[in-house]
Amino acid sequence: MIRKLSLSSLVLTATLVLGVTAAFAGQARTSADPGVTATSVLLGGTSPLSGSASAYASVARGADAYFKYVNARGGVAGRKITYTYVDDAYNPAQTVQATRQLVEQDKVFAIFNALGTEHNLAIRDYLRAQGVPQLFAASGSTQFGSQGGEYPGLIGFQPSYLAEGWVYGKYLARTRPGARIAVLFQNDDYGKDLLNGLKRGLQRSKVKVIAAQPYEVTASDVQSQVAKLKSSGADVFAIFATPKFAIQAFVFANKLGWKPKLTINNAVSSASNIMVLASEGGTNRVVNGSLSIVFLKDPTDPKWRNDAAMKLYRSVLKRYAPGANANDVYHVYGMAVAWTTVELLKKIGKNLTRDALVKAASNMDIPRNPFLLPGIALKTGPKDHFPIEQMLLQRWDKGAWKSFGGIWGYRGT
Amino acid sequence: MSGRARRLGVPIAAFVTLAALALLLPAFVSDFRAQQFAYVSIYLIALLGLNVLTGYTGQISLGHGAFMAIGGYTTAILMADHGVKDVWTIPVAALVAGLAGFLFGIPALRLSGLYLALATFAVAVALPGLIKRFAGFTGGGQGINLFGTDELTASLTPVTVLGQELSFNNWLYYLSTSIALVLYVVAWLLLRGRTGRALRSVRDSETAAVSFGVSLARYKTLAFGVSAAYAGVAGSLFAIATTFVNPDTFPIALSIFLLVGVVVGGLGSLVGMIAGAVFIHFMQTQWAQDAESVIPDWLPFLGDLDTDSPGAPALVFGGVLIALMFVLPDGVAGLLQRLWKAFARVRS
Repeated sequence: MIRKLSLSSLVLTATLVLGVTAAFAGQARTSADPGVTATSVLLGGTSPLSGSASAYASVARGADAYFKYVNARGGVAGRKITYTYVDDAYNPAQTVQATRQLVEQDKVFAIFNALGTEHNLAIRDYLRAQGVPQLFAASGSTQFGSQGGEYPGLIGFQPSYLAEGWVYGKYLARTRPGARIAVLFQNDDYGKDLLNGLKRGLQRSKVKVIAAQPYEVTASDVQSQVAKLKSSGADVFAIFATPKFAIQAFVFANKLGWKPKLTINNAVSSASNIMVLASEGGTNRVVNGSLSIVFLKDPTDPKWRNDAAMKLYRSVLKRYAPGANANDVYHVYGMAVAWTTVELLKKIGKNLTRDALVKAASNMDIPRNPFLLPGIALKTGPKDHFPIEQMLLQRWDKGAWKSFGGIWGYRGT
Repeated sequence: MSGRARRLGVPIAAFVTLAALALLLPAFVSDFRAQQFAYVSIYLIALLGLNVLTGYTGQISLGHGAFMAIGGYTTAILMADHGVKDVWTIPVAALVAGLAGFLFGIPALRLSGLYLALATFAVAVALPGLIKRFAGFTGGGQGINLFGTDELTASLTPVTVLGQELSFNNWLYYLSTSIALVLYVVAWLLLRGRTGRALRSVRDSETAAVSFGVSLARYKTLAFGVSAAYAGVAGSLFAIATTFVNPDTFPIALSIFLLVGVVVGGLGSLVGMIAGAVFIHFMQTQWAQDAESVIPDWLPFLGDLDTDSPGAPALVFGGVLIALMFVLPDGVAGLLQRLWKAFARVRS
């Protein structure tokens, strides 16, 4: 006992030395705001490099590769962009800790591209109190774009789930009068936003949602929900589920012999590799002809083989993110968001401050982004913090997505 | 053995040194580091509790994150829905989690070894789903946000304690560290006497313990209760420090990290838990991703790893853990003991 405890001070010293290893780095600044000098600007954000959602880490990696490419060509307005992305294991508690580290220790200019709905929710009050912009939060949650007045520094990026659902609703209202829809949705904000958007798009039309079945994200499967939806007699099946459950929904519907005239699969689960899995080697008839929305250029789509931006995408990824899978569409997302940031910084020019960034981000009017589908513009306003509200519909046909029709623009509230 | 005075004198002197060093720490580190060490103290509390159960009583728990979640949600719900000031929720969280641990300890009496590990693991797996199911009460997946509420003593504003103005990070540090020090002493007092002997006898041989008149039911449920109460305090402080709880803030990985912390620190050693807490906090938040410059290039597989790429931090963590189990099979406490023995040999 004596021996063990008399060691305690020794252990404490040892552990302190172990813990206090990192540097107390600070840098000389010329501007009033942290994280920006005449030659550099520091962005930071969390990304799930480990844990259940590590597939989304490609978003950060794609963005980082694009910034490195821009830096190699001289940066923006004389400044090199450094993007520090920190692993949060998709755990909001770690998002909070990592974000505080980025703000209080690394002194970032802005939090950029932090991924996840709850993760951005967990840090938004803190960032507002610290006066740090929360630029391009990577989540389709409707509340990030619609609360511009309350959280002036918080800007989203991708189309909201509400807007996506609305597009499905409008399309069905126009093309399938009398259709009866059965909806499978995840019982959280994401699933409910999609469902509400769908209903909003259907207003004043002859199309009705006749059945809606929720599932819990912790559930093991959705078989019973799909069976109930089948028995409702609906002829359109809408799947508002994450990849694992979306695949199950397709497979169970096929197994039960349900042949809806049309199946809708939300963008979260519509990556080509997921559709291929769901199609069970092409035998699943529910998959064929499925409908979804798209706003990014799909790297697997042969249409973009000779597209200048997608050629650049491949070479930048190869050079600055070696080993990354170029067919992963999340890298395209990352480059699209980095490209937009570079545009904002170009527009602001020499006098880069946090206020200027927030002002520019809340008054965006960029007609095109080379990594987004042609025709899709990025627009925001002081109360409208959704940069992308336009999208195309696409149809799964003979093992690949084909977009069709014109641009769908959501201008709701 | 020497007299009572000497037997107590050395550990008390050592503890006073430890406490003094801990309380002086904020003067030597940056404000942000103080916050990181607040989390170390929080993990220390959870590890001390888990060590009472696993290290001293021999009952493996793979579900201690669940007891932290109970503590964290008790605090968050009391603050958000009932307007209770944050510090006053800590004892309530200890009671609620302790009671949950005690109740869980009763059916757990019938389980031992791997079966108990599985049962506790099941609790950790089930709890996030349970929290989401009662969304009206717990806020569901969206969780409960505490930042900026009146009940939270420190959002970003300085805090005045006993006439001293503290930054909010230092406040978090002093709050969690002083509680950790008190609970350290409580654990030491609990384990040094009759109760500690009884718990250790349960660990070493249940048959022998029973034949000496130790009630298995009594001591196992006691260990579960105490251990869960510690986890509850840790969870409560975790919620106050993080200012946000949702089911994903207490994932299954947390329970595993806690067990890792106890093993790395050294099973059955209180002082080793400090090292265990430092390890799990910094490994999760920094070391795994910053390891690139430290890993030697000649190392197979890990040598040319880009630690900023998806999946890499987990890979580093796994590698470090395997290496540690080779180098320090009995944890940091075991290493120190070996060093001390070598030192004593040289001196004599």
